[in-house]
Amino acid sequence: MKDKIEVMAPAGSFEAFMAAIQGGADSIYFGVDQLNMRARAANNFLLEDLPEIGRIAREHNVKTYVTLNTILYDHDISIMKRIIDSIKENGLTAIIAADHAAIQYAFTKGVEVHLSTQVNVTNLETVKFYAMFSDVIVLSRELSLKQIKDITDGIKRENVRGPKGELVRIEIFAHGALCMAVSGKCYLSLHTANSSANRGACQQNCRRTYKVIDLEDGHELEIDNEYIMSPKDLCTINFLDEVIASGVTVLKLEGRGRAPEYVKTVTKCYREAVDAYLDDTFTDEKLQDWMNRLETVYNRGFWSGYYLGQKLGEWTNKHGSSATTRKIFLGKGVRYFPKVKVAEFILETHKLKIGDEILIIGPTTGVVETTITEIRVDDKQVDEVGKGISFSIPLEETIRSSDKIYKVVPAND
Amino acid sequence: MIKIIQQREKCIGCNYCVEVAPDRWAMSKKDGKSVLIGSKDKKGFHAVDVSEVELDANKKAADLCPVKIIQVIQK
Repeated sequence: MKDKIEVMAPAGSFEAFMAAIQGGADSIYFGVDQLNMRARAANNFLLEDLPEIGRIAREHNVKTYVTLNTILYDHDISIMKRIIDSIKENGLTAIIAADHAAIQYAFTKGVEVHLSTQVNVTNLETVKFYAMFSDVIVLSRELSLKQIKDITDGIKRENVRGPKGELVRIEIFAHGALCMAVSGKCYLSLHTANSSANRGACQQNCRRTYKVIDLEDGHELEIDNEYIMSPKDLCTINFLDEVIASGVTVLKLEGRGRAPEYVKTVTKCYREAVDAYLDDTFTDEKLQDWMNRLETVYNRGFWSGYYLGQKLGEWTNKHGSSATTRKIFLGKGVRYFPKVKVAEFILETHKLKIGDEILIIGPTTGVVETTITEIRVDDKQVDEVGKGISFSIPLEETIRSSDKIYKVVPAND
Repeated sequence: MIKIIQQREKCIGCNYCVEVAPDRWAMSKKDGKSVLIGSKDKKGFHAVDVSEVELDANKKAADLCPVKIIQVIQK
């Protein structure tokens, strides 16, 4: 029998959280306050949000993991404990931790612990050590699938069980940004900007362009790519069968800083791919479709990471995304008429016409994608609407006044 | 006189300000963010007027702050 495979999606906002649910995630991970690896970003929830997150998670039957994986100082201990206490109170599933203080506190409080990739677990003996505290262990991103299989085989052979009494489950990064440092333990940002990546404040030095100059004679070395430290993004969907055969049962999709439509698209592709693998319906046509869809959202080009045993990273050759599409803001939601299934919006900028692909994004709505087939202004059908005009479209999904509407256009438009 | 302002909500608790200007900054045991000693909170911006004597140390704190939420204004 095939093991159940958990698809784990990122969320940096309620919009992304809902998008992850719509994409079919089994579990969602996110940061709270500043003790996580995206502390710099505005993509974190507040301690006060945890009851609402717990409620939504129960309603939709998804597991919730709070990232609490920075290094911790003495002054962090109190807030770390409050976060863990709140996780327990609100019935969230687990923390993802790296510092022993957080691991120890959560363990004593009976809160499930997942071990962050920051711990850099690379062998079975270390898995056995952390299995005393942890039910799920994220391996180092730099292992090959063979090394991962040796570890998962070892867990079964030696019956390595976590605190819940079940065999320890192994998680790996399946998709998204990779950095050039081993297990994310990077000091470049700290050295150049006093801004520690290990406190969630990475300045992303590796994403910039660099010149290589011979200091002895001042010659600039000829290199064909100035992005000498910026890896392409990880993508495993094209060898997912091998990933799952390695005994991994949790697939982490990176991207707490990404937009809701990114979360929905990536989660949905991996959900479909995992289900296709489990039903034996994985085909090349489906794979091509998933690849095309993954390319529509933020990416730096794709590579397979270290899983297939490449010796060196593959570096991106441009700044930012190679996504084939981008979204442009059009306006806001006004109201929804459930009986007739019509959504009303106000267009604040640009134009919208029949045939346009749109996204509707909101904290409760998540992400709704559709193509415009009919537009009405003052109950009359029109082909196009311009700035400042209220219009309505037929739509199956409910929209809200907190929603924003976007047009999806080719990236080079 | 100088004015020191901190946009406290964005603090990530790195401790640098406390390292270089310990007379003016302390880490909160409550929320793990730094506290600008003697300051008043005006809509999230915590501000205090202090003497020039504290200028150098606090300028250093502002320079070192990884999230650039400290501002030192010479009056």
